[in-house]
Amino acid sequence: MVEKRTLVFLTLAMLVWAVSISSLAGYFYLQNATHIQQIGENQRSLNKTASNYDESMSKYNTLLSEYSMLYYSYSPDANFTLLMEPFGRLMNSLKSNYSSLLMNQEDLNETYYTLEENYQLIYQEGNVTEKDFGRLLDEYYDLFNLLAIRELGIVVSETVTLTVNISVYYGNETVEWYNETVVPAGSSLFQLTKEIAIVDPKYDQWAKPGHIFIEAINDKEGYSSDHIDEGYSDGYSWMWYYWDSDQQKWVSGPVGCDAWMLKDGGIYKWSFEYWRFDWPWS
Amino acid sequence: MGTHSSNPRKWALFPVLVALCLAIQLTPRPPNVEFTSFLTFTVGVIFGVFYGGVFGCITMFVNGFLSPYGFAGLIMPFQMVGMALAGVFGGVYKRLMPERVDSARFCSETAIVGAVIALIYDLVTNVGVGLCFVLSGTDFALAMLIAIAYGVFFSIVHILSNATVFGILTLPSMKTLHDLVGSEKIG
Repeated sequence: MVEKRTLVFLTLAMLVWAVSISSLAGYFYLQNATHIQQIGENQRSLNKTASNYDESMSKYNTLLSEYSMLYYSYSPDANFTLLMEPFGRLMNSLKSNYSSLLMNQEDLNETYYTLEENYQLIYQEGNVTEKDFGRLLDEYYDLFNLLAIRELGIVVSETVTLTVNISVYYGNETVEWYNETVVPAGSSLFQLTKEIAIVDPKYDQWAKPGHIFIEAINDKEGYSSDHIDEGYSDGYSWMWYYWDSDQQKWVSGPVGCDAWMLKDGGIYKWSFEYWRFDWPWS
Repeated sequence: MGTHSSNPRKWALFPVLVALCLAIQLTPRPPNVEFTSFLTFTVGVIFGVFYGGVFGCITMFVNGFLSPYGFAGLIMPFQMVGMALAGVFGGVYKRLMPERVDSARFCSETAIVGAVIALIYDLVTNVGVGLCFVLSGTDFALAMLIAIAYGVFFSIVHILSNATVFGILTLPSMKTLHDLVGSEKIG
């Protein structure tokens, strides 16, 4: 026969065990509930992204079809003046489909209005040549693709963000690093630069891909001078580079900073550098 | 057999134990491995329920301000109550102890008492943590569940370490204290 005192202590020991095990069960229940909730949120986010992606692709296909129809009419024997009206409709369609993007992204907005200006100019002149119309179509197509890529970037940025590092070298041994900068997916180097510094951008409609030149970063302004007698120009400008992790070296930016899309973990650099251009005709 | 009021050695021991307990409590150590509840329990056994409770309160009050983990804040009253209960347990255990008990059994019993004290202390302090969550806007039941559930690993460490400390140290310390203060034999 077990005595009463022993029973009391056995009961106490079991109570400790039972409460501990119940608390453990509670812990795993809470963990499970939290994970289920997170999975649910992630799923909703993915569904939203998928839905936005569908919407974006459907818009892209519609605009591409409209462009394709006009491009089909673009042949050497066509009346290009007559084609200007459908081109205008195409422009309007582009504007209405990407209105919020055009409103929020100044480089794209600038490109759109430059294209519209060129269109108006050529249209008003009356006799539209094949070359003029071809150039308008090219510019339109470039802008249309850029808009589509940016919009896809925005769709992806609802679930994905990028972490990048960027430095600004002012040319006097002063380097500022902006490490672990978080930006939405689909951001361009121009957007990142605007996030980390005060920039003075200059729009150049003839430059492409990308139309933006950075004239000044944090009030450090580039300059140039022409040496007519010696036959060259030189000066200081802001150049950008990206770090090529395969080759382990900085690579000079091959396009305008507004056309270069950031990648996760990417390392970028703005550098205030001397340049010299020898005139080929001198 | 001396009484509490008639044994000056016993009463001189009280502040010494308070100082010893605080010194150990404030020494950096693994989280939830502590000797305070053991010493409080011991004081409860020697001095009785009331002084055991007071000892626990004083220790946790001072610890609340000087702890290496920072100011205890809202949790402090709960820690004081939890530790006071350890002292109360000591007093109650002394009263319910049979005249003769063999060493193995005594060690087993004190190990279980140590585990129970750790469990109760953790439950009481977790209620304090839960109240902090309630004050920050969490639903009461959920706050308590979160506090108890997320403290479970610390609690298990506490229970196991307390059971070990109580099981191993209570008997020799009681014998030493008995020799020191000359009170009735324990264990």
